[in-house]
Amino acid sequence: MWRLRGIRSFEAMITAEGLTKRFGEKTAVDHLDFTVQPGRVTGFLGPNGAGKSTTMRMIVGLDRPTAGRAMVNGRRYAEHRAPLHEVGALLDAKAVHTGRTAENHLLAMAATHGIARQRVREVIELTGLESVARKRVGGFSLGMGQRLGIAAALLGDPATLILDEPVNGLDPEGVLWVRRLVRNLAAEGRTIFLSSHLMSEMALTADHLIVLGKGRLITDAPVAEVIAGGTRSRVRVRSPHASQLADLLAGPDVTVMRAESGVLEVTGLEASGIGDLAARHSLAIHELTPMNASLEEAYMALTADAVEYRTEALR
Amino acid sequence: MSTMTRTTTHSHRLGPQQTRLGFAGVLRSEWIKLRTLRSTVWSYLFVIVLTLGMALVMSLTIANGMGGEMDARGMPDAAQTELFVQSSVFGVYLAQLVVAVLGVLVVTGEYSTGMIRSTLAAVPTRLPALAAKAAVLFVATFVVGVVSTVGAYFVSTAVYSGYGLSASITDSDVFMPLLGAALYLALLAVFALGVGTMVRSSAGGIGIVLALILVVPVVLQMIPADWAQSVVPYLLSDAGTSMFAPESMTGGDSMGAWQSLLVVLGWVAASATGAAVLLTKRDA
Repeated sequence: MWRLRGIRSFEAMITAEGLTKRFGEKTAVDHLDFTVQPGRVTGFLGPNGAGKSTTMRMIVGLDRPTAGRAMVNGRRYAEHRAPLHEVGALLDAKAVHTGRTAENHLLAMAATHGIARQRVREVIELTGLESVARKRVGGFSLGMGQRLGIAAALLGDPATLILDEPVNGLDPEGVLWVRRLVRNLAAEGRTIFLSSHLMSEMALTADHLIVLGKGRLITDAPVAEVIAGGTRSRVRVRSPHASQLADLLAGPDVTVMRAESGVLEVTGLEASGIGDLAARHSLAIHELTPMNASLEEAYMALTADAVEYRTEALR
Repeated sequence: MSTMTRTTTHSHRLGPQQTRLGFAGVLRSEWIKLRTLRSTVWSYLFVIVLTLGMALVMSLTIANGMGGEMDARGMPDAAQTELFVQSSVFGVYLAQLVVAVLGVLVVTGEYSTGMIRSTLAAVPTRLPALAAKAAVLFVATFVVGVVSTVGAYFVSTAVYSGYGLSASITDSDVFMPLLGAALYLALLAVFALGVGTMVRSSAGGIGIVLALILVVPVVLQMIPADWAQSVVPYLLSDAGTSMFAPESMTGGDSMGAWQSLLVVLGWVAASATGAAVLLTKRDA
């Protein structure tokens, strides 16, 4: 975690110190402390309503913290002389006037900082928007909106990028492109802070994870560490006698979940133990598969207590 | 969409930044934003067409009326001037509604589409963005207003000259009202911008501004109390009209043009102050 400073071309860092946001009675972000380091992709995870977007909005000064502060390169975002050169942010793919063309949107954004027309052309090319640059944004698909948002974030060639759900709505080719793009940007020494609800995508893209639940910091660790420490491994059991087997397997340290009809997911027992138990009771087993913990599972385990909106609670 | 393999970002800039945020840039940005929306273009065209069209209708109506009973040639110069001004600014009564709606939409359109977050992320101190919006809207509306009223003067001239009437545009009694009408439209647009910034909703902002122009004066005039009648000249639309309209059009007991301008400036200042305070205080 301790990194030598002063040897990088970029010294960009995002720091949150006691960052808190309350909306009336509700605390959306609760005393967050973290640092997003340069030279790597930091993933920002959390269930819906965990406060990810609010945190990102506070970093770029759109929301005012109730307490604490968020700093970029040692200053508040608004105190920078050229904010777009410091931080490029994609907070909302459709933070664009629908009646304006993509090119004119980018030209207007660039004009605030005196960024040349040439750079606007570059980011249009870079994000593959050439064919639709002169079309009005209202007709854009979500994926094209994301590309335009990324183009706008890159306008100032910033040392720090904050991307809220950048792959949302992108086709597989677009997802791959974003992954390569952020990895390259991080390799150049830039600071990348990326939120996503696609855990599998995070496993492929991020080096480091900051996990949020109910506005609080749950984990701040390298991806590998989160996966390793997150969950115990499970065993998938398929049997025509699933319910009988479930009763037999039940015990103080064992959790049995019914995944689908005739399929159990068992935590707390090895595959061999389950097989032996079934044999002793002469119960047929059609499948017995040990399953490695994935980032998704690690994440579910981490945030299980912190989920704001559970599926059951939906209507 | 074409295939993409490029993932480098041209980071030729690793040293000090070449450009920075500045008010001139924010002004340019807001100018690009204003002129690249169809609603702006249509609104301004509508203002011009309305003003010219109403000038044509008004001057033809008056001229026809005179053909019968009045002897145009015997009319005193002051009365002729008033006829020209009346016809030239008549359309402004309708154009003010278009301009008020445009002023609201310039900012509420950003709130409804989410654009405001891009705007405020680029200009995080926020007030320069509002000031630039106001400045650009003011200048554009003033120019369109001048084009409209001066154009309307020439339309009126084309009609009246056939009846032997004349009034020179170099006469301050002619060009001052034309400029005054354009100035009122520009100030009204900025007032509406402030209202839009405060309420952040197109429907709400348009409702408030139109009610203030159309409904409030009528309601006040129906109240049979002295205080109600004495308030009327201080209303935005009444004071605004008094900035340019001849007395025959405003009903007599209104203030002078300069005093009216001060009242209108007061309305604009109140709206702009409220907008500035709320814009800096609230979350975007």
